[in-house]
Amino acid sequence: MDSNEIKAAINALSPEQRRELLAWLKERNRPLWLAWLSRLRAKSKPARIPPGLRRAVAGTLVGLIAFAVVEAAIFRSGWYGKYLEPVSMAGQMEYHLFWLRRMPPQKVPDVLVLGDSRIAEGFSVRIASAAVAGRVHFVNLAMLGSTPRVWYYTLRNIGKDLNRFSAIVIPFVRYSDLDAGEDLPNRVSDLNFLAAHLHWSDCRDFARSFTDTEVRRDALAECLFRGVALRPDIYEFLSDIPHRLKRAKDWRNNGLAYSEGYTGRPEDLKGLTMDEVSGTIQFPPGAKQSQIDTARATLTPPVVPQTGAVTAYRRRWIGAILELLKTSPARVIFIQIPNAPLPLADSTVPAQFIDSVKVNPRLTVLPVDTFRDVQRPELFFDGMHLNSTGRRLFSVELAKAVVPILETK
Amino acid sequence: MLFTTLNFVVFLVVVLGFFYIFPRSWRRYLLLAASLFFYMAWNAKFVVLILSLITIDFFAALWIVHKQGRRRRTALLLSLCANIGLLGYFKYTNFLRDTFLHILHPGAAVQPLDIILPLGISFHTFQSISYVIDVYRGEQPAIRSYVDYALFVAFFPQLVAGPIVRAREFFANYFNWVRPTGEEWQRGFALILTGYVKKLIFADRFALVADRYYSNPAATPGLLPAWSGTIAFALQIFFDFSGYTDIAIGVALLFGFHFPENFRRPYLSASITEFWRRWHMTLSRWLRDYIYISLGGNRRGKLRTWANLMATMLLGGLWHGANWNFVIWGGYHGAVLAIERVVWGREEKRGLVRIPLTVLTFGIVCVGWVFFRAKTLSGALYVLGQMFSGQTGTLLLSPLQIELAIATLVVALAEEYGSALTRLGYSPLWVRTAATVIALLSIELFTASDRTIPFVYFQF
Repeated sequence: MDSNEIKAAINALSPEQRRELLAWLKERNRPLWLAWLSRLRAKSKPARIPPGLRRAVAGTLVGLIAFAVVEAAIFRSGWYGKYLEPVSMAGQMEYHLFWLRRMPPQKVPDVLVLGDSRIAEGFSVRIASAAVAGRVHFVNLAMLGSTPRVWYYTLRNIGKDLNRFSAIVIPFVRYSDLDAGEDLPNRVSDLNFLAAHLHWSDCRDFARSFTDTEVRRDALAECLFRGVALRPDIYEFLSDIPHRLKRAKDWRNNGLAYSEGYTGRPEDLKGLTMDEVSGTIQFPPGAKQSQIDTARATLTPPVVPQTGAVTAYRRRWIGAILELLKTSPARVIFIQIPNAPLPLADSTVPAQFIDSVKVNPRLTVLPVDTFRDVQRPELFFDGMHLNSTGRRLFSVELAKAVVPILETK
Repeated sequence: MLFTTLNFVVFLVVVLGFFYIFPRSWRRYLLLAASLFFYMAWNAKFVVLILSLITIDFFAALWIVHKQGRRRRTALLLSLCANIGLLGYFKYTNFLRDTFLHILHPGAAVQPLDIILPLGISFHTFQSISYVIDVYRGEQPAIRSYVDYALFVAFFPQLVAGPIVRAREFFANYFNWVRPTGEEWQRGFALILTGYVKKLIFADRFALVADRYYSNPAATPGLLPAWSGTIAFALQIFFDFSGYTDIAIGVALLFGFHFPENFRRPYLSASITEFWRRWHMTLSRWLRDYIYISLGGNRRGKLRTWANLMATMLLGGLWHGANWNFVIWGGYHGAVLAIERVVWGREEKRGLVRIPLTVLTFGIVCVGWVFFRAKTLSGALYVLGQMFSGQTGTLLLSPLQIELAIATLVVALAEEYGSALTRLGYSPLWVRTAATVIALLSIELFTASDRTIPFVYFQF
């Protein structure tokens, strides 16, 4: 067909047909990307037609579900957990669990030691293992500022790996259920530890374990939306991403060695005395304010009405730990840690919780005065924490106290 | 129950669920019960107050319709006295007492009376007054059902801080209620999300700067701190109040109610006259219809027009708060409006000349905000002195806050000239889904403060 024939054919077309032909030619000669864009626009056009209410509600739900999926992908898949600040509360728990999961099986029994900063400062796994000639492998799971509620969820998150432990040591500041005025059920910092590790199914019970309405509401929000709890960490992460990535990688690879290599602090409170009758404390010359404050707090705790709150708290959380360990082969060992830089008289408030559970055949409660000889001012760097010498002594004594328990059937 | 709490989200989902499950005839009872519950969540005792006002105005309106001559006027006066009297007692007693005692005993310390300002009283009394006056003027038929009228006053999305809805707008929608269309639902949801982003990310972040500066302006002397603290407040109050309004309008839309627009990018105004057409539009409209026009408006000569403008703005200022600073703020705006009327007339400027005029208008508005935000008159004068002092000082806004301010300008311009945000609400599903995810993640991660900062306008 030559061009004249084509012209004639076009002239024979109706105006409608000519318009269609023109549109087809335009589309045919358009660059590929423009054609793709116009198709995309054509596809998006129907959405501009007012959809029905049901479709709109469904669209809203899709948006909400997509948010939940993205949120879960970031914070619940473990992706963000890998980059948490190592020395933050959430980070401590994250890295401890990471190291535990990768810990090779041992030929000797594993013993897990729970605790807060007193155990972190006061217990060395290297010294303890060496003290018993490597017959036991100790794992220090102490986290600064942690509480029994945090320990419960930590153990729960260890999951099946819990079965590898022959014993789990649970420390008490004092066996007595003495209420010293600390509002443990509403301890807000627990949220920071646990925010990255609670499941959606935990949220209701976790929130209800706080008695203050506002804290309870925050707990629920932070459990449901992990990003809320991790906000400060995220800001820091975003402020210097390469530094955090490097630091997190280093901590994952070497953090356990750093932690196990820690030797403790050299300061002491030598010269500290207390008149037990008047309660007057004599501090060594040059004592720092933090040493004075912590020593006052432990040597002369505030006298508050005994409401049974400590007993109830222990029943709730140590009880939950015992329940969790019911099916595991691990023995449970309760210890009263060296709790002050001077030997204190035992509280007159009874140890109701321990009395109620000590019938458990797999539970061993070490005598209250097992570590009392460590309660000396020269072994503490402040009113609460053992120094490097105290750390050595306590680690040896704890190891030697644990081994016979493991050897009894 | 603040809009920004988890409690409100749960409350909204439950009420919305029941609203669409219940038969149509039950819905008004549900909405009224939910609204009263919402109000009582703040302070249960004060429900008696709002119900009393509703009862007085409901019967006053019926009386106005059924009576003739002076009795109609008596009913109107009774209603106005009840509304203005209660508003005056709760809001202005301490202010008047303080003023009189200062005149009688200059320099003496005055202990304020312990009077709690009921939540949203300034807003719901204005709605009630507008209803009764409209009935009196014959512009609105009296409502025969107590429940219907009570719902108009107490409907929870607008109960606390507006927008101030006129009876004829509400009832036109209410008596001809139809399910929201898909587009309306989408728009409502988008508005709610926008409101949360405005409040939690923008307003509360600027609040940190404004609160820090205005808590002790003398701690950071110089013009940069004064301007940055004041600009931060200007942005805070805009995002705070327009965020609240967006949530209110969005929530109402989900129930099938159309509330009037309250903010239209006010800081892009090229004059103060235009600013008041774009800022708190429902209040401006109320002041115009029930005060300015009642005083004669612009029908009685130039001098009287200026006087009417000034009186309206002074009352508008006083409505915002029982404090001389608010009166001065209102007077300042009244004076600028009168000057503009003399210099430019009422015509809006177009073209490139808008750019310098917009900057100038924003500056004039910021100067006004100083009186609005400062705790005392002497504090306001100190800040103004610093704003025009030779001392430079340091900028209080962080780089992030400056970026947010620039982003605000870009989004406002995109919306002004291209309706970008509005179009987003009607975009394809995947775009809306992505926008929802980004907005919710932003709220989760970038909320400025761990504590709940109340909405600024709740105090009015």
